Amino acid sequence: MARVAREPATSRTRPRRVAAWGEQHAWGLVASLRRLGGRPLGTLLTVTVMGFALALPLTFALLLGNLQRLGTALGQTQAISVFMKVDGHAADAKALADSLRDRKEVAAVDVRTPKQGMAELATMQGFSDALKSLDYNPLPYVVVIRPVAHIDAGEAAKLIAWLRTQPGVDQVQDDGAWRQRLDALLAVGTRAVLLLAVLLAIAALLVVGNSVRLDIQGRSDEIGVLRLVGASPSFVRRPYLYAGLWYGLAGGVVATVLTLLLEWALSAPVARLAASYGGRLDFGGLPWALLALVPVLAAALGWLGARLVCARQLRRPE
Amino acid sequence: MIRFDQVSKRYATGQEALSGLSFQVEPGEMVFVTGHSGAGKSTLLKLLAMIERPTRGTVTVDGRNLSTARAGSIPRLRRKLGMVFQDHRLLMDRSVFANVALPLVIAGIAPAERARRVRAALEKVGLLSYEKQAPAMLSTGEQQRVGIARAIVAKPPLIIADEPTGNLDPQLAAEIMGLFDALQNVGTTVLVASHDLMLIKRTRKRVLVLDHGRLVDDVPATEVRS
Ligand SMILES: Nc1ncnc2c1ncn2[C@@H]1O[C@H](COP(=O)(O)OP(=O)(O)OP(=O)(O)O)[C@@H](O)[C@H]1O
Ligand SMILES: [Mg+2]
Repeated sequence: MARVAREPATSRTRPRRVAAWGEQHAWGLVASLRRLGGRPLGTLLTVTVMGFALALPLTFALLLGNLQRLGTALGQTQAISVFMKVDGHAADAKALADSLRDRKEVAAVDVRTPKQGMAELATMQGFSDALKSLDYNPLPYVVVIRPVAHIDAGEAAKLIAWLRTQPGVDQVQDDGAWRQRLDALLAVGTRAVLLLAVLLAIAALLVVGNSVRLDIQGRSDEIGVLRLVGASPSFVRRPYLYAGLWYGLAGGVVATVLTLLLEWALSAPVARLAASYGGRLDFGGLPWALLALVPVLAAALGWLGARLVCARQLRRPE
Repeated sequence: MIRFDQVSKRYATGQEALSGLSFQVEPGEMVFVTGHSGAGKSTLLKLLAMIERPTRGTVTVDGRNLSTARAGSIPRLRRKLGMVFQDHRLLMDRSVFANVALPLVIAGIAPAERARRVRAALEKVGLLSYEKQAPAMLSTGEQQRVGIARAIVAKPPLIIADEPTGNLDPQLAAEIMGLFDALQNVGTTVLVASHDLMLIKRTRKRVLVLDHGRLVDDVPATEVRS
């Protein structure tokens, strides 16, 4: 050994070690692209399946987000309508309105006389003729209460219970009650979407894992050669880890593009729907940060899938 | 450099490929291993490359007992070894240059230095003008020479070659032997498995003769007659 003429110690210095590390990664990276290019159809299939799997929870998140916006937009009009007894006195309605104005959970109070109610009905199509045939006004006084913006369910319930005990009150109708039901429903929906996202992420992991497994099996000769010339396990593994990373990244990009396409396709019909609600509602896409994060997370997922498969498939030589 | 001590190798099939093999090779020595087909030549080389492990006995390379080496240290040990395979074992989808460069990439040699050494190795086997070609485009003998270039490029202290001249004409075979001889002169130990008796006689190096897994003769270089 001592007599062996050695080259100058090229692989010893620190900068060289760092550079060598970079070169070996470049080798693995190029090799990984060969893997993907070597099975173009399989690569395309893997990327597409992964893209669709990841687009699904994104789509649900998109729908859920818009449902939430819808709720918020409509919630601003939520009101509590107090119908006074038809044969009651105008004074009861006035007194109730005055006492309500002092309460802190009430933003505005409006008293509608039977006459106003009749005039409102008359403008609605189909009603005007029917009303003409009436010879008296059947409508009661109505006290319309708009609660403060962020009234909680307990306060609202207390207010309604109190209203029911007031003299001259016939009926209390809470237009905001559906809001609470919607919120509860949305909470369930959000949980479901998260669960779905986890399940589909696992599916994506398996899809990438299977592709990488096929890549490894198709390359057993090459793996053997690398091992025989002294490649470390991480060198042998690296092309497949990069391949998993690419699968994931491409799948994530496909998912993002699909979601954006869907947003675009939905935006026109939703705009029409919004117009029918007086334009208070507009379509909201997913946040950009989330869309940008999807390919990154998908790439990490692909890497992980490849890593798990490599641990199994490349365990022991011979 | 190499020591076999009562080494036996029995394959899982029950086939006893080597039995009670003992010999020693000094650093910088060049040795032929010969014998009939199935005598155990490839098996002997596989033990040195840690592709197989001995069933009995110990194989020592450079003072290191291979039988007790951990699996994790195999890549590092193999980097000190240049191997020429009976079946070339090239990466068919990479260029000749990339194939020869592989051990240098693994060793972390800088690109400029790497290119220089790859070209030097290709020149030694007479394939400098083929560096951009794919191995599949080359003749079997040319592929074999690419394998030889890959084995010598990292200048390992030990080179083992399994039938490196099996597909070469006598002229080329003699040139490759001259190449190995030159390596030996700079201190590299070379072990060549071959049943080409003509070549062995002309090269005039020590010869180990195997017969059914047993060492039946150990002829010093001085006693090899043409
Ligand atoms: N992987 C294996 N499994 C089982 N038996 C094997 C294996 N490899 C070799 N053998 C057997 O071991 C014996 C020695 O084989 P080996 O390949 O070492 O011979 P060889 O001298 O290299 O022959 P050749 O000149 O034909 O290459 C043979 O009988 C062979 O059948
Ligand atoms: Mg053989």
